[in-house]
Amino acid sequence: MTLFRKLLIANRGEIAVRVARTARALGIPTVAVYSEADRGALHARACDEAVAVGPAEARASYLSFERLLEAAKRTGADAIHPGYGFLSQNGDFADACRDAGIAFVGPPGDVHRKMGDKKGARRMMAAAGVPVVPGYDGDDQQDATLAAEAARIGFPLMIKPSRGGGGKGMRVVHRLDDFAAALASCRREAKGAFGDDTMVLERFVQRPRHVEVQVIADSAGTTLHLFERECSVQRRHQKVLEETPSPVLTPVLREELCAAGVAAARATGYVNAGTVEFLLDPSGRFYFLEMNTRLQVEHPVTELVTGLDLVRMQLEIAAGRPLAIGQSELRSQGHALEARLYAEDPANDDLPSAGRVLVCALPEGPGVRVDTGVARGSEVSVHYDPMLAKIVTFGRDRAESIARMAEALSRTAVLGLATNLGRLRTLVDHAEFRAGNLHTGFIEEHLGEVSPHPCAPPEAIAAALAALHAARGRGAAASRAGTAAVPDPFAALGGWRLS
Amino acid sequence: MIRLRCREQLHEALVRETSQGVEVVVDGQASRPEVEEATPGSFVLRTPGPDGVARVETFHVAREGDAIHLFWRGDVYRLDEEREGRRGGAARHAEGGLEAPMPGKVIKVAVAPGDAVEKGAEVLVVEAMKMENALRAPKAGVVRSVAVKVGDMVAPGRVLVEIE
Repeated sequence: MTLFRKLLIANRGEIAVRVARTARALGIPTVAVYSEADRGALHARACDEAVAVGPAEARASYLSFERLLEAAKRTGADAIHPGYGFLSQNGDFADACRDAGIAFVGPPGDVHRKMGDKKGARRMMAAAGVPVVPGYDGDDQQDATLAAEAARIGFPLMIKPSRGGGGKGMRVVHRLDDFAAALASCRREAKGAFGDDTMVLERFVQRPRHVEVQVIADSAGTTLHLFERECSVQRRHQKVLEETPSPVLTPVLREELCAAGVAAARATGYVNAGTVEFLLDPSGRFYFLEMNTRLQVEHPVTELVTGLDLVRMQLEIAAGRPLAIGQSELRSQGHALEARLYAEDPANDDLPSAGRVLVCALPEGPGVRVDTGVARGSEVSVHYDPMLAKIVTFGRDRAESIARMAEALSRTAVLGLATNLGRLRTLVDHAEFRAGNLHTGFIEEHLGEVSPHPCAPPEAIAAALAALHAARGRGAAASRAGTAAVPDPFAALGGWRLS
Repeated sequence: MIRLRCREQLHEALVRETSQGVEVVVDGQASRPEVEEATPGSFVLRTPGPDGVARVETFHVAREGDAIHLFWRGDVYRLDEEREGRRGGAARHAEGGLEAPMPGKVIKVAVAPGDAVEKGAEVLVVEAMKMENALRAPKAGVVRSVAVKVGDMVAPGRVLVEIE
């Protein structure tokens, strides 16, 4: 008897492939959904069945309640895993699944809604004894009240919209004189983006680390933490490197932080896997930042140090099973590091790049795990998140997982579109990263200006030309055999003039 | 001669088959890289040392249109081939090599190695999108090689006939 009759994975890319892997190991048949742009995508081939759910625009496909529930009904799926992003934190979708008699693999709708409201979440955390950044989260939203509160909190401070995210409507204000204008501009942006201009004020924490606690809770009320992850190396609020354990936590601080994570989860009535994010200031004080009510991108580092399969635990909980493990049995062993490979062009202000993957050489070996959403031949479009793959390494200690990461990245080759591979290598080799001296502005501080990439050395060009010449024979042979109906990039390895 | 641009630098290269294997000349430096295709796009380069011990390394290269994507010793490079007259649809005249101007199928080969040809003589015909394109000798000379036969599919830029 499997946990579910059939699982529909309402996502794409590496996370859909990764969820399908666990489902298969548990004997649960899987259904992939794909948009028109993803017909040939890796995730659409990773499941037992695949259903087209609409056009490339996510709003009409991966975000369409109707299309997804219809696909579940048509295939007889009795559970939906939302992955991350898309509908994973949408309380109304969680409710719609429940109403359709389908298990949503995640917390119930009201938990998503509670945590999606920053003002309410802050108050709930403060009431539960979880430290929050000193600030203002009151209902009185008059400009004069906010200005008075700002003066009380002190500068620099952050103005944040209560609803929404992605940095929209968010400002750092350095002096009281600038406050009124900044507030007005935040309100306008938030109103436009989220339809709500309720604001929260918080003291701006300087040079913080981003440290988060993985929590998991069953429906019987057992809530556990699976230790912390440090994700301080970010670029524009987007995590780039993640690791566990954090290089800076003392055992005492770790215990306090993880206990705060559990308290935060309990306060919300949390069920299933979630992450409580904290800012850690240089003096060792930590503050609640937000709660992510879903599986995180960086969950593999936790899996590697605990030996657990988080997706399996999510499915068991969604099926109503109690957690099969207790807090005292949980151990974090060794160190794990994740690097996110993005389709973005460092030479073009890190803008997303697109194209066809011509070569996809991903590393493997002891202590190396790769979760990829692309393979050779995949089309990377600009419609979706630019993350291509996650390279995760594990070692006895931080030095070993970093060494394995450096080696793994040196063998990672995704050709055909620009990627951040060079930046990942620079980061992992950086003395300050190796020393564990991290903060959320690490990339801006240390890798501010990207040094222009030098040209290929002549010996590399010679090897490349010899290789293309050697491959030409195969391309021609394939054409003669009539097997090259689909244009193969190697069939187009143009002949080099023989002279 | 192939002209390859990598960032601001322009390289000139050529590839030729010799009795000792393929020779590559890059910016005047000749070498014979010993490469073997491992999987599509992935190659092993063997560099023999003086003591009989070869250095072995894997690199990756793929071509898409005029762009060559190269992964070499941990770094990624892009090389762009510069061709004049590519979009003119006419065969290339330089160096006596005759390239396919577009993807298509060879429907006629009018010459064989050793044949003397006059300038402008029809050498072969490529059909694409139901249109026939005659490729003509860019100069008078002797046909040194014919790389294709009737029925072959050809890619743009591929050298089909050599005249010297």
